[in-house]
Amino acid sequence: MRDNAKGGALTEVTFYILLALYTPRHGYAVMQFIEEKTGGRLSLGAGTLYGALNTLQEKGWIEPLGGGTRKKEYAVTAQGRRAAERELARLNELTAAAAEIMGGAQDEKNMLSVFLEPDGGPGQVAQQNVGPGLPSGAY
Amino acid sequence: MSDRGFRLARTEKLLYEFEACRPGQYRYCVEFVGHQSREEADRYARFLEDCGYRVFFKNVNLDWNVGKAEVRPWAEKGGRLASDATTYNRELLIVEKENDGKPFELHTTGEDRARYLRACRRPALFLFAAAALMAVLLRSWTAAGFALLALAALVRYQVELVRIKTRSEWEE
Repeated sequence: MRDNAKGGALTEVTFYILLALYTPRHGYAVMQFIEEKTGGRLSLGAGTLYGALNTLQEKGWIEPLGGGTRKKEYAVTAQGRRAAERELARLNELTAAAAEIMGGAQDEKNMLSVFLEPDGGPGQVAQQNVGPGLPSGAY
Repeated sequence: MSDRGFRLARTEKLLYEFEACRPGQYRYCVEFVGHQSREEADRYARFLEDCGYRVFFKNVNLDWNVGKAEVRPWAEKGGRLASDATTYNRELLIVEKENDGKPFELHTTGEDRARYLRACRRPALFLFAAAALMAVLLRSWTAAGFALLALAALVRYQVELVRIKTRSEWEE
């Protein structure tokens, strides 16, 4: 996985795997967790997950658990938790900056969309109230 | 075969055995693992089984020799010696999944697909180099034919790798 070691940014896949393993899970459960949390947007192939789990294990961010079940379970380590916390802080910083810059523009856009809604919006009502009884194009 | 109502039951060197199932009940992926060690390929197969898939190993060559060993300079970690006891005649993994209506892919991120394609490209690169050398040294049209086949495979892998790289650059 090409996580940005210098900048501290994790890939979406890495971050979701770390989140999934806050509770010990086996591979298939990790795939289900990610699919469920992203509403099916991110569907991880088993080969991709296998490679990602190996990489994270090499980094010491996750570890296999020696449970009695046949299926191998993994859990996030303290080092992995720190990486996930750093990523959360980075994402919070990013969303705060985005809200600061785009917040005003977003409010204007929301107001405009209310007036330009095709059905039932105030804009529609306003148009209907102009010149009642006049056929369209009669102005 | 799955669409025609047949499910893979067993594989042998030359034969595939099927059993009846509902049409389209299962989906299959084929993965090249000839570059991996026996232990790594077994670990990967176990992981896929843990994910609920059925896994079959299959030979990529039709070779009935017993006790054969082969040098694979294109394998991971600078090359490997493959023998009957390790990965010789176990180069492919056929993976079966019950059809849930979603596409069945083992490699879903650009980076992972690129890594897999690079592993597949290495044997083609070595085959091309060896066949081209033989074609020149022995003036053999047969070797030239193999070199061309390997070149076609190389070009195909390269085009796909460039496509993945371009897409991932846009996404980054």
